Amino acid sequence: MTAVDFANLLIAALMLAGVYAAMSVGMTIIYGVMKIVNLAHAGFLMLGAYFVYELHERMGLDPLLGVVLAFPVFFFLGAGIHWLLVRRIPASDQPTLASLLLLFGLWLVLQNLGYLIWHNEDRAILTARTFSTLQIGPITFSTVRLTVFGAAVASLAALEFVLHKTWHGRAVRALMQNREAGRLVGINTERTARWAFGVGVAFTGAAGGLLAMLYSFSPSFGAPFLLRAFVVIVLGGLESFSGVAIGALILALAETFSILVIPAGYQPAIAFSLLVVALVALPDGVAGLWNKRQHWA
Amino acid sequence: MTEPGTSGVSGLYRGVWKGAPLLLLGVVAALPHVYSGAYFIRLLFVTLVWLTTSVAWNILGGFAGQVSFGFAVFYGLGAYTTALLLNSGMNRASCLLLGACVAAFASLLIGLPTFRLKGPYFAIATIGVSEAVRVVMTNLPFTGGASGYRIIEKGAFHQLLHFYFALGLAGVAVIVSMLVQRSKFGLALVAIHEDEEAAADLGVNPFRAKLLAHALGAALTGMAGGVYAGYAAFIYPGGVFAFDISVHILLMPIIGGVGTVWGPVIGSVVNGAVHEELVASFPQLHLLLYGSLLILIILFEPGGVLGLLGKASRVLARARSAGGSHS
Repeated sequence: MTAVDFANLLIAALMLAGVYAAMSVGMTIIYGVMKIVNLAHAGFLMLGAYFVYELHERMGLDPLLGVVLAFPVFFFLGAGIHWLLVRRIPASDQPTLASLLLLFGLWLVLQNLGYLIWHNEDRAILTARTFSTLQIGPITFSTVRLTVFGAAVASLAALEFVLHKTWHGRAVRALMQNREAGRLVGINTERTARWAFGVGVAFTGAAGGLLAMLYSFSPSFGAPFLLRAFVVIVLGGLESFSGVAIGALILALAETFSILVIPAGYQPAIAFSLLVVALVALPDGVAGLWNKRQHWA
Repeated sequence: MTEPGTSGVSGLYRGVWKGAPLLLLGVVAALPHVYSGAYFIRLLFVTLVWLTTSVAWNILGGFAGQVSFGFAVFYGLGAYTTALLLNSGMNRASCLLLGACVAAFASLLIGLPTFRLKGPYFAIATIGVSEAVRVVMTNLPFTGGASGYRIIEKGAFHQLLHFYFALGLAGVAVIVSMLVQRSKFGLALVAIHEDEEAAADLGVNPFRAKLLAHALGAALTGMAGGVYAGYAAFIYPGGVFAFDISVHILLMPIIGGVGTVWGPVIGSVVNGAVHEELVASFPQLHLLLYGSLLILIILFEPGGVLGLLGKASRVLARARSAGGSHS
């Protein structure tokens, strides 16, 4: 392998990591505030993909603009679903099976509504960007991947801003750290949870739109990404945003470089095996290893 | 019955109740001779296979409360073991038993690391295991990959023979489920479901009990996969290891009534009826329906159909006693 090949792979991994981070961050917010594992994640990714697709097909809207529009639309969708369903299950400091199964039921509903509306054929969003490339020195960039990477990083930066500079964002971070203490200082937990669920779904829907620019999709789109999102947040320690970046990078590196040693057919198994290994061996994520050594030091 | 009294009547009632499963078995066994259409027998056969997996899942997922999204692994392993052995000329019963052994062994391999995880984390890990196994199986040469694997039938095809294999297996599954429920082991599983730490304090080894329940469920599911493979005579990894299979195995007991002996049975019968009615006309609609049912069950009636029936009968009984007429 030449240095250029290596650099190409490394850049591919980095760009993939950006997409993975954007895709997983919604799940982290929801888990962090409510301790709910959002199994309907894949359903929202799928809806996001079709949302951007429909806007592009019917109104000729640029997919990037579609992704931006997805934020408010999916925010209200998420808040509505929280109000209608999620708030009815008892809150808990531990993830419960009831919430897991509720959102699994929601996933089944979304996915099969998708089949009823869009049927089974694969769709793709093709624009001028899709096949063009950018040559910088010896390294070739795919324009669409570069765009998606840029959008993913921008959305993560926006989230960081919202979480640190707005009242709702601070409330979310407070509840993630300590639910009881948050209540004591006057945070309305239910309203904050609804807001957080909305934001989580908004990010997921937008990420679905980003993924739709890279891959073809059908109503069952999202299941492999659901598991990848799990891997990312488990590696990241479940409720930390910097952890998400680390987890996304590890997964992207593992998947990209495994091409050198593992036959391509087995490649999807990497994420799934990594998930089990991460859950069993690293309950606090990769950062947990670091913290254990540095704790109170 | 010379002395008609309440105790005698209730004793008779109880006797009938105890005999009901046997009666049910007899009725189902006789059904193909009443309506002998090939399509109808196929529907009965498929329902019985699903029934076995549903009852099997319930041993771990219902009694012990460990929700697994990975039972397709055992179904697929049972199906492939049986298929490969049948083609090597072994008799059907030993093929099924070996399929059960392979599935039970796999359940130990999966359970040893994943049972260190609690509740929902275990559930998520089983999704990972199940998907990884499916990918690997699709790529292994002996499974036939995407083009599948065919069983070469040596004799003539007897649909009824397959039906009675499925019926026998379903009967075994229900009996195992009843025995587990009545045994000390079953109590231990329920204790783990309620509070794992408290159960451990009382001298139950949760890890070992969960492994055993997993292995029991896996063995029964593996045999169900084997019975199905013998009937279909053609299997492929994308079919028998599909996530959809895991989902169905999980939904039936939850819809019927999780943690009971008869809930999973009811769930699988509902599944059989709904499946055949809907799949022909709207293939996607039945999962949409199941998803909505799952949401409703989680929010309003965790006992499923069985819980609903119990509620209805209590309301009826109260209405009757409020009527007050007792002669």
